[in-house]
Amino acid sequence: MRSPRSRFELACRVGVFALLGWLLGASVIPSGGRRADTVNGAGLERRLPVWTRLPSNVALHANLDVTPAAATIDWLAALGHSGHSVTWTGTPTPLAVAAEALADPRGGTSVHVAAPAGSSVVLRDDASVLDSVRIANLGVSVTASDVVGSMVAGVRGETAKVRAPDSVHVRSVVVVGGAGWEGKFIVAALEERGWHVIARFAVAPSVDVGQNAALVLDTARIAAVIAVDTLLGRFGGAIERYVRSGGGLVLAGSSSLAAPASRLAPGALGARFRPAVLPADTIGLGATGFYPVASLERDAIALERRTGGVSIAARRVGAGRVIQVGYDDSWRWRMAGGPGSEVAHRAWWSRLVSGVAYAPPAGADETGTSAAPLAAMIARIGPARPLPPGMGGRAPIDRRVYMIVIMVLLLAEWGSRRWRGLR
Amino acid sequence: MSTEFVFATAQYESGDWDSAPLVPPNIIDTIARYTEIAVAPTGVIVALSDDRMLRYPLLFLTGHLPVRFTEAERRNVRRFVERGGMLFVDDHNHDIDGTFHKTATEEITRSVGPLVELPNDHQLYTAFFKFDGPPTTSHELNGWGDNLVHRHLLAVMRGGRIAVLYSSKDYSSEWNYHPDSKRFLSVDNTRFAVNIVVYALSA
Repeated sequence: MRSPRSRFELACRVGVFALLGWLLGASVIPSGGRRADTVNGAGLERRLPVWTRLPSNVALHANLDVTPAAATIDWLAALGHSGHSVTWTGTPTPLAVAAEALADPRGGTSVHVAAPAGSSVVLRDDASVLDSVRIANLGVSVTASDVVGSMVAGVRGETAKVRAPDSVHVRSVVVVGGAGWEGKFIVAALEERGWHVIARFAVAPSVDVGQNAALVLDTARIAAVIAVDTLLGRFGGAIERYVRSGGGLVLAGSSSLAAPASRLAPGALGARFRPAVLPADTIGLGATGFYPVASLERDAIALERRTGGVSIAARRVGAGRVIQVGYDDSWRWRMAGGPGSEVAHRAWWSRLVSGVAYAPPAGADETGTSAAPLAAMIARIGPARPLPPGMGGRAPIDRRVYMIVIMVLLLAEWGSRRWRGLR
Repeated sequence: MSTEFVFATAQYESGDWDSAPLVPPNIIDTIARYTEIAVAPTGVIVALSDDRMLRYPLLFLTGHLPVRFTEAERRNVRRFVERGGMLFVDDHNHDIDGTFHKTATEEITRSVGPLVELPNDHQLYTAFFKFDGPPTTSHELNGWGDNLVHRHLLAVMRGGRIAVLYSSKDYSSEWNYHPDSKRFLSVDNTRFAVNIVVYALSA
């Protein structure tokens, strides 16, 4: 009859051999069934080292409320590439942010944010909070005068980050047309805003006034061309080549009736709309009528509508952008508008030109951060999908635990024997 | 409202603003004769005290008598210049320190800013026809001043542009004739008006 102590020692020894045998068998005979390990978002980062040591037949699944950090997504993607089935479920908030330097002499950054409608997005840079915007439809664009470091958008615990672009070297703007108040005041507005303007106005057959230098339409020198009337036709095919290579074009008033412009315009020009009653005192933009954009091209969008039709429309042509403006006497708004109308006229024309002006593309984001976290995660590890049926439960125990158990059992047996005076 | 150029004469409460009624049709004729600028066939008269004066970015002001703007006229002239308009003032006398000159320059200084001599190589003199400076009028040589030739025009500059162009050369007399009479001239003496209009429309 064995004493309880010797039975204990025997049990320890049997246990050690059983564990060693099981580990040996598990290492040479692959397991037939698939198992899964599931973790909630908060514990995901801590779980990744464990997942890395699991055999590839273990499916990995995460329940996410917030998109993980870019490094975590990279790790998950690597696990997927190593043979694991990596899946996730949850409802992280879709969010994306983009920033581009404004082609404006005063600098500034145009920030575009996409987020669910109705959400409130906080914008900040590396220095402080810049603004808080409410998403009306699908997204919002704001202009920041100065951004330090990176632009970060945050909503519902989700953050998207993009490096602020360097300011761009703003090139010249060309204004062409017949001599008249509209062209003169466009030039004045842009120059007052800081643009370098090359004006070319026709005053008589073969007599132009303005800069006498030869005018070469080239995105290396010219950011945008503003056509006041059909004299744009003088450029012939050069204007189309310029726009397709990235140049900006503003077609004001009747200018899109010119042959080269009609191929680039966002739409065909309708008959000039004239309001039934002209303003008796101050004059607002378009108050005296405009040329409506009668039929938009399929790839064009209306930017402004008013009584009488579309007054501003835009489209991309090749690498360039074209804006068609139905107004042909915005100068009346500046001269005879209400208080501050000259400032508003100046800002309006500068914004219009900024919208199409050529700016060299910014360098790639070098920070490794994600401007659209959820989209980046879907691109790396796929969309949300649940674990396949029949897979669940716990993942196998870490094999280091077995080694520790073996060591404890051996120590217990050895200690017990020494206690009895045996060797 | 059309987008064509409309020649506008400024009406002010003091003085004889309508002392040169044939200047507007003569200038309109000259513009149509030499350029392809769309110009309205008739000019307009607009009161400086009326906000509608802001609808005409080039205003012609002349007279013989003292010029004293009312508060409304002064306010409108200031707004007109700040928004980019150009006021062309011509002394219908061609003397020195006459009543029009003294009062008009005082009013302009008070309303807009001080007048300075316009260099004779300014862009205005080459905007269309080429001049070496302000063209001399027949009245300067033979009139009241007895060979009193004003070598320069005066101007108030804003942002590098002429906001107020002031002349003591009496173009109001020089150009105050029916356009049909141009055929009797060997050289059209209204050609400088083209430069003023082209400059106003393009600079």
